[in-house]
Amino acid sequence: MQATQQKSVSAHSQRKKKEARETFLFTLPAVVLVCMMMYIPFVMSGYYSFTEWNGISKAAKFVGFSNFITIFSEKSDYLTSIWFTVRYTFLFMVFSNILALALAVALTKKFRGANVFRGLLFIPYIMSMTIVGFIWKFIFSKGFEKLYELTGAGFLNMSWLGDGNLAFWSVVFVGVWQSLGFYIVLYIAGLQAVPADVLEAAVVDGATGSQKFFKVTLPLLGPSITTCIFMSLTNGLKVFDIILALTKGGPGTSTYSVTMKIYDEAFTKNNYGLGSAEAIIYFIVVLVITQLTLKAMSKKEVDL
Amino acid sequence: MGMKKKRMVGSTIMIAVLTLFSIVYIYPVFLMFMNAFKPFGEVVSDPIAWPKQPTWENYSYVIDKIKYGQLFMNNVIITVIGIAGIVIFSSLAAYILDRRPGRYTKLVYTIIITPMLIPFQTIMITLLKAMSVIRLSNSRIGLGIQYWGFGIPMATFIFFNFMKTIPKEIDESAHIDGASTLRTFVSVIFPLLKSVTFTVVVLDVMWIWNDFLLPLLMVNSSNTTKTLVLAAYTFVGQMNTKWQYAMTAMVLTVLPSIIIFILLQKYIVDGVVAGAVKG
Repeated sequence: MQATQQKSVSAHSQRKKKEARETFLFTLPAVVLVCMMMYIPFVMSGYYSFTEWNGISKAAKFVGFSNFITIFSEKSDYLTSIWFTVRYTFLFMVFSNILALALAVALTKKFRGANVFRGLLFIPYIMSMTIVGFIWKFIFSKGFEKLYELTGAGFLNMSWLGDGNLAFWSVVFVGVWQSLGFYIVLYIAGLQAVPADVLEAAVVDGATGSQKFFKVTLPLLGPSITTCIFMSLTNGLKVFDIILALTKGGPGTSTYSVTMKIYDEAFTKNNYGLGSAEAIIYFIVVLVITQLTLKAMSKKEVDL
Repeated sequence: MGMKKKRMVGSTIMIAVLTLFSIVYIYPVFLMFMNAFKPFGEVVSDPIAWPKQPTWENYSYVIDKIKYGQLFMNNVIITVIGIAGIVIFSSLAAYILDRRPGRYTKLVYTIIITPMLIPFQTIMITLLKAMSVIRLSNSRIGLGIQYWGFGIPMATFIFFNFMKTIPKEIDESAHIDGASTLRTFVSVIFPLLKSVTFTVVVLDVMWIWNDFLLPLLMVNSSNTTKTLVLAAYTFVGQMNTKWQYAMTAMVLTVLPSIIIFILLQKYIVDGVVAGAVKG
């Protein structure tokens, strides 16, 4: 009896061992790949942020915190680029979400062709952002010029990409135009999940249309709002392609995003060490903003 | 009766407003298509009108000049390699992470999904160096493989959440029939993941096909490795006043996405929604 027990124990431990080996092997490719593409470069960025390195020479010179001091000194336009990115992201979030929610409400009303509208509004989202930037560059210059000739409307004659203030708004506008369809379909999905009987009960209780929306639909839409706000936040903070095609960050530094700044520092000016330091600060800024937003949102959702 | 009539008038007005809005909204895309069918003089003199005599000349010029066929193949190769790896490795990892709960798998799961918090621009500088050391830069296959590392965190997260909905009894009965764990995964579990795999494929095809920054860093040096978007970016830059050619290159870049979208609209929208809600 003891022998059989021992045998079963050893069989059991053998099976455990085999399972452990399987678990290891099944997850190995994913872990190795993630380490290669994400963790190792991330650690390297941390290291190089304390060095002076032109990307070509083998040895990078250790310089302590000097890169970080340079970044926070007055002559660096890094802080300007962070400030642009924050303003851009805020407006991008606000306009994307409000417009998308309004259109989603209109498109969930039952009528023929609602899907056609949804599809049309979604098309810019499936196009490359670089191409979207070029289309609008053409419209802001050639298109507006012609429309002004035809209509004489003053705003068409303004320098939408040449004036710093206007260029800022143009970039926000094109950013929202490109991704609005994405947020619309997310809100439509959320609205369709609002139970019809709850809305009917509200009507029976005598709620008006707007009461129904603000008191019943909107609170029940909490998870969709959180998703959309969070997605628009992270997408806004990463803005790059659209601006590169539309304004290249100009005029001056009026539409210069932090991602462009990091790119230029490393690949145009060959300051890889300084660029790495800028990248690390960018990471911290993104992490802090997204975590604070998530925390605020989850608190809000519980309150409702 | 009066109420009903009022509502009908209201909804007619709403549809009219929506129609007008949608036309204005999509007009820029339409404008790009129109101008790709005009000769140079017409683009300059009237960029917003319908082409007087539509011409295919721009297309033959641009397709030849940018070597469209080659670029298209590059995009296909990079996207297919990227998607295949992401789907295989993520679903495999997610399966075992869900089925063998424990300290070890919990740690591995955290290691795999945490990089979702790292923005690409934080690591792009050193990534270029790391990838040239292991010779994955300047190659289409190399770029496809790089997408594995960037796509796996999110895909594993989506697969992992879905895995919970597949009852464990299914694996057990396969085990009793003598199938190994890998065998069970390949022939029993993976087929059940069809819908979630589709979500991952939709999200990642849209991302990889249109991606700009990573290809710019990795495959921009040679025409034999460039992607469509990269080539269009360079080409439009060179054609700075020849808008008719620029527009044609832009149309050729986005046309594949638009055709696929029109054909698979419902599935793509569903996939995007599912991905965002789960992601």
